[in-house]
Amino acid sequence: MSAILRFEELGKDWFGVPAVSNLTLDVPEGQVLGLIGENGAGKSTLMNMIGGVTEPTRGRMLWRGRPYAPASAAEASAAGIAFIHQELNLFTNLTVAENLFIDGFPRRGGLLRGLIDRGAMQRRAAGLLARLGLDVPPERTLDTLAPGERQLVEIARALHREASLIIFDEPTTSLTPRETERLFAVIEGLRAEGRTVIYISHILGDVRRLSDRIAVLRDGRLVDEGPAASFDVPRMIRSMIGRDLAAVFPERTRAPGSRPVLEVTGLSAPGVVENISLTVREGEILGLFGLMGSGRSELARLLMGLDRAAGGEVRLLGRPLAGGPRDRVRSGMAFVTENRREEGLMMDATIRENLALPGIESFSGPAGLDRGRIAATAEALRETVRLKAGDLGRQPVRALSGGNQQKVVIGKWLPVRPRLLILDEPTRGVDVGARSEIYAIADRLAAEGAGILMISSEMEELMGLCDRIAVMSRGEIVAEFARPAFEERRLLAAAFRSGAAPASEPATGTEG
Amino acid sequence: MTATTEAQAGTGLLRPQTGRIRRAAARVLLSDHFVLWLSLGYFLVLLPFLPTLGTPANLANLLSNAWPLLVVALGQTFVMTAGGIDLSQGAVIGLTSTVAAALIATAAPPEVLGRAPIWGTLIAEEGGIFAGQVWVGILAMLAVGALVGLVNGTLVALLRMPPFMVTLVAMMTVSAFAIWLTQSENIRNLPEGYVQLGKGQIVSVYFGPQDRPEIPRRELHAVIGQAALIAVALTLALHWLLERTAFGRQVVAVGANRRAAEIAGVPVRRVIVLVFVLSALCATVGAILYSARLEAGRPTLGEGTFLLDVIGATVIGGTSLFGGKGKILWTVWGVLFFVLLSNTLNMMNLSAFHIDMVKGAVILAAALLDVARNRLARSTG
Amino acid sequence: MTIRTMLLGTAGAAFALALAAPAAQAATICFAFQDLETEFWVAGHQAITETLTEAGHTVIERNAQEDANRQLEQVRDCIAQGVDGIILIPQDGESATTIVAEAQDNDVPIAVFNRPPSDLSRGIVVVADNEEIARQAVEFVAAEALEQIPDRPIQSLILVGNLGDPNAVGRRDGFYAALEPHGDRFATPIEVATQWDAATALANLEAAVTANPQIDLIFTSSDFLFPTIRSVLEPRGMWVPRGEDGHILMAGLDGDATACQLIKDGYVDATGVQDLYFEAESAMNAILAAIEAGETQPNEVIEDPGFALTSENIGEREMDMWGCVLLAEGFLER
Repeated sequence: MSAILRFEELGKDWFGVPAVSNLTLDVPEGQVLGLIGENGAGKSTLMNMIGGVTEPTRGRMLWRGRPYAPASAAEASAAGIAFIHQELNLFTNLTVAENLFIDGFPRRGGLLRGLIDRGAMQRRAAGLLARLGLDVPPERTLDTLAPGERQLVEIARALHREASLIIFDEPTTSLTPRETERLFAVIEGLRAEGRTVIYISHILGDVRRLSDRIAVLRDGRLVDEGPAASFDVPRMIRSMIGRDLAAVFPERTRAPGSRPVLEVTGLSAPGVVENISLTVREGEILGLFGLMGSGRSELARLLMGLDRAAGGEVRLLGRPLAGGPRDRVRSGMAFVTENRREEGLMMDATIRENLALPGIESFSGPAGLDRGRIAATAEALRETVRLKAGDLGRQPVRALSGGNQQKVVIGKWLPVRPRLLILDEPTRGVDVGARSEIYAIADRLAAEGAGILMISSEMEELMGLCDRIAVMSRGEIVAEFARPAFEERRLLAAAFRSGAAPASEPATGTEG
Repeated sequence: MTATTEAQAGTGLLRPQTGRIRRAAARVLLSDHFVLWLSLGYFLVLLPFLPTLGTPANLANLLSNAWPLLVVALGQTFVMTAGGIDLSQGAVIGLTSTVAAALIATAAPPEVLGRAPIWGTLIAEEGGIFAGQVWVGILAMLAVGALVGLVNGTLVALLRMPPFMVTLVAMMTVSAFAIWLTQSENIRNLPEGYVQLGKGQIVSVYFGPQDRPEIPRRELHAVIGQAALIAVALTLALHWLLERTAFGRQVVAVGANRRAAEIAGVPVRRVIVLVFVLSALCATVGAILYSARLEAGRPTLGEGTFLLDVIGATVIGGTSLFGGKGKILWTVWGVLFFVLLSNTLNMMNLSAFHIDMVKGAVILAAALLDVARNRLARSTG
Repeated sequence: MTIRTMLLGTAGAAFALALAAPAAQAATICFAFQDLETEFWVAGHQAITETLTEAGHTVIERNAQEDANRQLEQVRDCIAQGVDGIILIPQDGESATTIVAEAQDNDVPIAVFNRPPSDLSRGIVVVADNEEIARQAVEFVAAEALEQIPDRPIQSLILVGNLGDPNAVGRRDGFYAALEPHGDRFATPIEVATQWDAATALANLEAAVTANPQIDLIFTSSDFLFPTIRSVLEPRGMWVPRGEDGHILMAGLDGDATACQLIKDGYVDATGVQDLYFEAESAMNAILAAIEAGETQPNEVIEDPGFALTSENIGEREMDMWGCVLLAEGFLER
């Protein structure tokens, strides 16, 4: 089997740190190549080089045996390479057909030459959609489509452009199980047509099921590669993180104390949460489980003072809290939001600026900021949270992988020594290795006496880490379980507010 | 795959290896002093063609033109770094210069100012009610300026109105109010102590007589004046404030990501109010320098295209219009570039019709370089 | 034919002749003006640059775009460049005083025209006597009114300029001076504020005309407001040429091309003309004489008496008015 794309000793440095080094790998034509690795292992950098977004520092790529060095995304697209990203590149205000033909509308001939031939466009669009089994009229606008349908439109566009290599980067993050199944069928179909696919995902079971071959990156290097049949999930994890899975959840260092850190009584906000009462004690990790839309994140915002409650009381270390987020941060609360880009980070600022922000006032002296102390604190944090980064004072957060960005969001709170840390989906989009490091940080904070409220839709991580788990459903806390009573079925039943098992399980994230 | 797509795919490999040159270019382009290098290059290129460009008289002019613009642009830098824009700076200059002049003028002609609403209360024939008391005038100016900034900042921070709209409205109302105060009259007869703030010389250099006809007759050139001292002191103080204090870093954070800053405990609303107050105060200091050297309080001072110079110099310096990125040093170089540009265009003896076209073209070129710079910043390590 | 050749052919030729004598040595003159926004300034600017260039001098132009500070910086740049003399059309009287002082302190002779500095004691200053010019124009229409309306008080209306501008004040004073001798025959004039702004003028004039439909005489402090006046009067049937029933006597000041056309068409009866050519010529001659004589701080006040171009004298004096020169050139058709 010949290689459609070949990497030869490819390397790329970011701020002096190699993101990819000495990578030699064949992408066999007509097959599905599964590509896995932790965040920061170099997958995104590799994709950016294929896509013409960045240039390799060393080595070269061969496309169908000829040297290939795209200078732009357009050149990559013209060569026959298409990307299906997590965030789709579609115009939501245009119709399906317009999105498909946006780079070259069918034109009329004859007298009306030059005008867009709407009829031909609709017919051809319908044909493309039919090939993917997508039953949607081409004149619908994109914003009326479900995420899975939008993704199929993006794939249809790749087909329209006669792409011979289609790269899927975490395509299932926002899909329902049924949509995921349909996507997998489409990928099988693409392979049957002779197209080549690179499939990147954290969901290792999916990768194993879809791929012909699997390649594993770690720290920018190819560490494992072979036929998919020879991989099982434990081998994949071992290759990715360099050790066994059992070590993902830390042994809890200390048992929780008895003094309450956070006491919530009767907290209500109409239409959001209702009569919430809960307590987090010193050194305790309280899990908050619930389906999407159950009011978990809204509760966190209320606790942080970002939204106003209509009634109820929140006490921190016995003192009632009023005021906005600033007052609450000063009295010892910290909040890691679920969307780090929008609410956690200054993407273009340096890592050091981000790490210094919450505690910035404590670095102030009579002569202004103590920049030496800020730099030293940032370096210490690099060790504490095991940040993989270059020069903290120069590298922007944007240049970090997702997992490392998340470590910055959590790490920036450590210098202010929070009494209560609220973590909202702290491991979303984060790979197995970084996860275990995030869990370790949570454990260490708890051991130092902080209370932790951890919101997650992943039962496994809650069960692996928490002392207690409260379950939310439709804005209310419906059940609470202590560690010995953790059981997946009971948690889910509470979340669905029924004794019967639900029809489909909520997404449980990676199989790691 | 068709033949054409393959041909297009092949184009990527023909690009020459120009790594070393690119890295050197990148170092200059990405430097904090890029606009300084740009200005120096521009200066050196034009020097052989414009003989008077490098004369002491012209250099002294360049500097004295730069000080007031710099002072105003410093305030704009803070607002822009916090993600806003302040269109009311020009109007603040007009209002505060008028207020000061009305209070401290030492005489006023009734035939000019007799119809002004402030006639007989704040100012009369024998001058303003604080005639000659320069410090009272300056404190009043600062108070008025701070008040305008406070209103701007409060509306933006508390009501979450867009800064563009808030300050546009402020520009119109403040300017109209200033014109109403004196019925568009200018107030002369400022006390000497005040005028000296704009024109006063501390260190001057005598370059000796020369016989070439294009050399000006007077050979004594102001190198350091009171305006320079005020501007330099303010620049240093604001540089310190932005780079070396928690407040300064919080300004950057609010501009980079307001929501993240709020969650991180930054007093977002206080920061926004303060940057607008700071901006108006800088405009007020600019008003002192401008009105002092014009020797008159003018309600229309700072109208027209002045604001474009301020915003243009700030942005050319490198401060982002979208917030989160700004340095005082950048603005210093941006102002230098703008002043140099105006000065050289004056020297080229272009027809008045052509000057603005050339100016626009040069600014466009500088802006294009800035685009290249940002692209480079994203793609290099 | 372009404006340029036209001006050369008429006014320019006259200037060149007038300048022939003193222009013995070539000088560098800085011409700093306030703006080119209106036709008046385009004409004045052209007249000066063409004439000086024609006489062998170098002209350095500076447009301050209505920014007094910029004008100060521009004049200082001129001084740094070592010009021999400066001709200034200032933004306003106060900044003119500062700029004149700046030039004289650097030993560069300076002449100011069109708008006098608030301090007339320094520099060569050509002062148009706005009051006198306005009086001449208003006297013409006032006499016509007295003749046509013998039986009742005559209602007059004045569009007042921005009273921050000394020109506007003088023009208003001239208007009252012309009516003063016939005090009993004229009702109290209606004053309409314009702030030298067409939109303000439109709104205020509409209100005034609605409140007082019987108006016999209108004086506008500047000709540029005639189109505004027309747009208010025409829909009310009050825009009527001379000789027809309901004609409102109308006078203005400035003498622009529109006014020239309107006098020819009979809608306007008179306009006071600040004699731009006289002023520019006087300023130029004075500055060149000072350069020639080696004077660095010449001080002189030159009066521009102006004149009124009326429906009666337009036959003889048409080409003395800059607006008519532009009109003949086809300015309004461009």
